[in-house]
Amino acid sequence: MTYEFDFGAVLGYWPLLLQGTLTTLRLTLFSTVFGILIGAFCALVKTGGPQWARTIVGLYVEFIRNTPLLIQSYFLIFGIASMGLRLPILVGATIALTVNIGAYTTEIVRAGIESIHRGQLEAAECLGLSKVQTYLHIIIRPALERVYPALASQYVLLMLASSILSSVGVEELFGMSNRIQSDTFRNFEVFVVLGILYLILAVVVRAGFSLLGLALFPRRRKLGTSL
Amino acid sequence: MGISSHNRKRVSLGIVLVLINMTSGIAHADALANIISNGKIRVSIDPAAQPYSSVDETGKYAGSEVEIAAKLAKDWNVALELIPTSPANRIPYLVTNRSDIVISTLSITDERKKVIDFSKPYSAIQIVVGAPKTDNISKLEDLVGKQVAVTRGSTNDAEITKVAIPGTNIVRFEDDATSITALLSGQASYYVTAPALLTTVNKKNPSTEIEPKIVLKTNVTGVGVKKGETALQDKLNQWINASITDGSLNAIYKRHFSIDLPPEVTDAK
Repeated sequence: MTYEFDFGAVLGYWPLLLQGTLTTLRLTLFSTVFGILIGAFCALVKTGGPQWARTIVGLYVEFIRNTPLLIQSYFLIFGIASMGLRLPILVGATIALTVNIGAYTTEIVRAGIESIHRGQLEAAECLGLSKVQTYLHIIIRPALERVYPALASQYVLLMLASSILSSVGVEELFGMSNRIQSDTFRNFEVFVVLGILYLILAVVVRAGFSLLGLALFPRRRKLGTSL
Repeated sequence: MGISSHNRKRVSLGIVLVLINMTSGIAHADALANIISNGKIRVSIDPAAQPYSSVDETGKYAGSEVEIAAKLAKDWNVALELIPTSPANRIPYLVTNRSDIVISTLSITDERKKVIDFSKPYSAIQIVVGAPKTDNISKLEDLVGKQVAVTRGSTNDAEITKVAIPGTNIVRFEDDATSITALLSGQASYYVTAPALLTTVNKKNPSTEIEPKIVLKTNVTGVGVKKGETALQDKLNQWINASITDGSLNAIYKRHFSIDLPPEVTDAK
């Protein structure tokens, strides 16, 4: 018996697929923005903060990086709810993803910060730059520029991993396609369509990151070389 | 070659059917008379359909369907023999005379009526919206703006998706366990499921008191009898009428599912 593909049955559900795609993109966008903020802050703490703060950040990073995302989101979504704070599922999911990606970002940015040569800091001091100026222009920006490709990969991974959240009730792309499957029983077709959609999404996210990189790092735009 | 083997199969199937008809016709002209003369009624029951019917570790049967079968045997003053069957076997067992009747969550459908006869409805399988006891909801409008949990791809999902009023947030979970977690943690306010599952949840979490609040759909269930056994069918109908009138069927249903028998059962002709 050969399987007969019927994509018409699946493509008829395009409004659901579109809605799911938009939800996935929204989840990725919000957790990227907040994740980078958390990650940059924690990385600064971990490289230059007081010892107790370094310990806390270290525990956070290790705990998150060594437990499954599914368990983290389960606790964040249902755990917060059982403490009496009823957030919409999508908000809970964004928090879970942000907490998760924040830990990975911390480690990546920390590596970038540690790659800044001490001579650069001494030069900044000699030129009379303030502490804030030094952090912004001498440490964070070049550090981010160095690890930018690694960050971009990590955030594409995050976008793909958000599919896990369908099991805690998030109607993102994967959750929507589960609904289509249970309606049509056309799993092969659904997964082919889903694979293509995720591929397109990944290309879009990567393109977004490289455009953002050009805007953030004028040196690279102007000279065309990496650090 | 293909055609001839096909034909042969059809011929032999025909012979088997004729034989079955003959033997059953001779041996069991009247199933009711047989039950009375044997002093025993053989009832097909699914041992894995908690809380309708199940078998515990010691081999003892329990559940609403079991209680109904026991009451029937008691009222008719015959011994009860429970024949364990899987859902797929319920009708074949009856047709091949391995049981006298089926009391096993058998919904009355036109498809099945072609193969067996049914008594009038004695119970129902429902799809309901469950909510904590203290919550006062009674109609679909009350669900607007609330999170309603349901297990993705289930018949419950199909039903609530069909009838929900726009503005109802249906949250779909991968399995019953996660849906229940959502309800118990407060992430979702309501849960669409069968009353039977709510009973089980309450039993496992005594602190929760979840009740069926809104009935979305009712499938009535009937006692299955072999085709043409009109004497047995009539006597079953009389018994069901009597048991609905004296409230005993309702009592069993309510004890198990915390909800009264629906009018589709109590008002059925």
